[in-house]
Amino acid sequence: MTRVSRWGARLGLAGLVLAAAGCADGTTPSTDAGGAVDEKAPVTITIGDRPTPDKPNDIAAFERNIKEFMDAHPNITVKSTETKWDAQTFQAQVAGGSLPTVMNISFTEPANMIPNKQLPDITDELKLVDLTKDLNPDVLKIVQDGDGRIYGVPIDVFSVGLAYNRALFQQAGLDPDKPPTTWDEVRQYARQITEKTGKAGYAQLTKDNTGGWMLTTMTYSMGGSVQSQDGTKSTFDDAPAKKALQLLKDMRWSDNTMGSNFLYNQEEIRQDFAAGKIGMVLQAPDAYDMCVKNFGMKPADYGHGALPQDGGPHGTLTGGSIKMINPKASTNEIVAALKWIKSQEFDKYTNEQLAVQNAKDSIADRGFVGRPGITPLSQETYDRYNTWREPYNNVPVEQFEGYVESTRTLKLLPEPANKAQEVYALLDPVVQQVLTKKDADIDKLLTDAASKIDARLAR
Amino acid sequence: MSLLRTPQSGRSGIRSLATWYRSGGLSAIVFALPLVLTFLYFSWSPIVRGLVLSFQKNNLVTTPEWVGLANFSYVLTDPQLPQATVNTLYFALLALIFGFPVPLFLAVFISELRSAGWLYNVISYLPAVVPPVAAILLWKFFYDPSGAGVFNSILGWFGLGPFAWLNSPDLAMPAIVLEATWAGAGATSIIYLAALTGVRTELYEAAELDGAGIWKRVWHVTLPQIRGIILIMMLLQLIGTFQVFTEPFLFTGGGPDNATTTILLLIYRYAFINGDFGAATALSVLLAGVLCVLSVVYHLLTRRWSIT
Repeated sequence: MTRVSRWGARLGLAGLVLAAAGCADGTTPSTDAGGAVDEKAPVTITIGDRPTPDKPNDIAAFERNIKEFMDAHPNITVKSTETKWDAQTFQAQVAGGSLPTVMNISFTEPANMIPNKQLPDITDELKLVDLTKDLNPDVLKIVQDGDGRIYGVPIDVFSVGLAYNRALFQQAGLDPDKPPTTWDEVRQYARQITEKTGKAGYAQLTKDNTGGWMLTTMTYSMGGSVQSQDGTKSTFDDAPAKKALQLLKDMRWSDNTMGSNFLYNQEEIRQDFAAGKIGMVLQAPDAYDMCVKNFGMKPADYGHGALPQDGGPHGTLTGGSIKMINPKASTNEIVAALKWIKSQEFDKYTNEQLAVQNAKDSIADRGFVGRPGITPLSQETYDRYNTWREPYNNVPVEQFEGYVESTRTLKLLPEPANKAQEVYALLDPVVQQVLTKKDADIDKLLTDAASKIDARLAR
Repeated sequence: MSLLRTPQSGRSGIRSLATWYRSGGLSAIVFALPLVLTFLYFSWSPIVRGLVLSFQKNNLVTTPEWVGLANFSYVLTDPQLPQATVNTLYFALLALIFGFPVPLFLAVFISELRSAGWLYNVISYLPAVVPPVAAILLWKFFYDPSGAGVFNSILGWFGLGPFAWLNSPDLAMPAIVLEATWAGAGATSIIYLAALTGVRTELYEAAELDGAGIWKRVWHVTLPQIRGIILIMMLLQLIGTFQVFTEPFLFTGGGPDNATTTILLLIYRYAFINGDFGAATALSVLLAGVLCVLSVVYHLLTRRWSIT
C-alpha cells in the first residue's frame, strides 16, 4: 500500500506552495510603473485563454485574430498562453506572478483583488482608448473601487436559469415549451420525470465551490441573501436558505427524484445532463455550448427557462467574465492590452460588418451564434448587434424563451462581495450533507457554516 | 582528509594541504558543489521560505506582514481541523489494516512460484504504471452509484447493493483506500521481492529438514528475515498516508460533507482557494513536526525488533 512512487506528488504539493513563494518574492505592483504613454513605442503583451490543442479550429481563429490585430498595430507584439481562470488555481497563479498581460477572470475576483492591489488602475487608459462610454454602468460597478476608479473590463454577463431536457419532458408528458417557473413546479415536474422515465428529475451541483454557488442562487430565488452589503457578515442563517435546503432534502429523500450521484462539478453535471440522465439543472445558458459541442447533446433537446422563484419574483444570481490586466504591466502595455480587448470584444458591437464577419467565423469554427446572454453594454447597442447577426443564428433561440423573458423581468443579484469563492467552498459540505445524510439537521448545518464563514470574513 | 588533522607546524600544514590538493580534494569539492548548491536552492530554500511564510500574513503580492503565531492559532482553532485530522488518521488506519498486508502477501506469493513469477510480477506492478489521474477516473466509473455501475452490477448478482460508494459519507473513505491499495501494492511488493531474494536458501532448507510446512517457513524464516524492510515500509507508508491528497482531491473533492477532507486537502484549500499562504504553511509546518515526532517514536519503539 505504501506509495513510494507517489510521495513526490504529495511532497510536491507542499513544495508547490513554497516554490510559488520563491518565484514571486513579494513583488509589489505599482500603478504608475510605466510613466507617460507612448502609443507608438514597441510593446509586447501576452494574452491568456488560448484554446487548447484539442480545438484546432478555435486555435486557428485565435491565431488569425492575433495576426490581424498585429497587422493593424505594427508596434504591438502579441503572444499567447493557455492560462485561464479557475477558482482552484487562480490564487496560485496570482501568487506565482505567472499571469499573462490579459486574461478572463470571474466576477467574484475583483472585490478582493482591488484592495489587495492585484489589479492595476486602468481608468485613464480606458478613456484614452475610448472604451468607457460603451460600458453598462451597472455592470461596471463590479470593477470599481469606492472612488469610482476602474480596475478591469467586464466583457460577458450571465444569470442563472434552469436548463432542462426537452426530450425527457416530452417522455414524461410535460410540455417542453413550458418549463417550471416556481420551485413547487420544479418538485412536481421532477417527480413526474423520474416516475415516467426513471431518470433524475432534478440534479444539483455540489463540488468544487459550485455547491455553495448554487445554494446562493437558490437562496436568492427564495428571497434571501448570503452576505451583508459590506461583506463583513454572513446572512444566510434564516428562512430562505433553510427553505432551499429543505426543498433539496425533500426531493432527495421523500421524492427520490435526484438520481444517485450527489458529487457533481460543472463539467460532470453537464456531461450527465447532455447524456439525458438529468431532467432539470440550474445552469447559465452558456451550458448549451459545452453540452452540444463537447458532449454531443442534440440541440433540439436543450431547453432553458427562468430561475424558478418562490413567493414572488425575487431575482437571479448573476456573474460573468472580466478582462483583467496584469498588475505588473507598464502603462504602454496596459494601453496595448486595452486596444486588444476593444478590438476583440467591443468593436463588433458597433460595426455591422465586423459583427457579421464574426458570426460567419463562429459558424465556420463550429461555434454558436445567437445563444442568449446579457449585455455588458447598453441594451440598445446589444439589440442592434443581435439584429445584425440574426440571419446567422444557429442556436434554437426559441428554446431559450423562458430564460430570455426572465432577463428582462428578474432582478439581477450580484454574487457575495467578499471572498465569494471561500464562502462557496464552505457551503459545499452543507449541500452535500443534506443530499447524502438522511437525518441532516439543516438548522445546525447553517448555524455552523455561518460561524465558519464569519471567521473567514473577519480574517 | 589530512586537512582535518591538526597541523603540527605551518610547514606541515602547507604540505598536508598540498597532499590534499594532489589527491584530488579540490576536484571532489568542485564536483560536489553544483549538486550541493542545487540541493540547497531547490530543496532547502523552499523549506526555510515556508517556515518564514508561516509567521507572515502574505498573499505573495502585497508586502508581507509579520504576524507572529497568529497563523498557527488560526489553523489550530479552525473548526475544520479536527475533522480533517480524524479523516487522515482514519485513512492511515484503514490503509494499515487493509493496505499494508496486501503487498507483503503478494511478494511472498510471487516468490513462492516456481514458474511464471515474472508474469505475476508484471501484473501486480501494472497499476503503478497507470497515471494516478487516469486510474482514479477509471475507478470513478467502477464506483458509479447507480445500479448500472460496475461494482454495483457485480454485487447485484449476489443480491447486494446498490451502494452509494463515493456518495456516502460512510463508504467514501474505505472506497478511496481500496483504490489506493490497488494502485500502491505493486510498487511496494517489488521492494519486498527484492528483500526476499536476500534471504539465504539454507534457512529454508534447514526449516524444511525440521519438517516446517510452507506457512511455518513464511512465519519463522521469511518474515523475520525481512523484518527490517517491513518496518521501514510501514514507516514510509505511515508518512505517505498522512499526506494523502490526490485520491480525495480527485475522487470527491473532500466530500461528501467533508467525509474525505484530509489535512493536505485543507492545506491546499488554504493556499489555493483562500490565497492564505500563511495559514497553509503554518499547517504544513505543524504536519511536518508531527511526522518528525512520529518517526522518532516509531524508531524508538521498533528498535528492539530491527536488524541493525
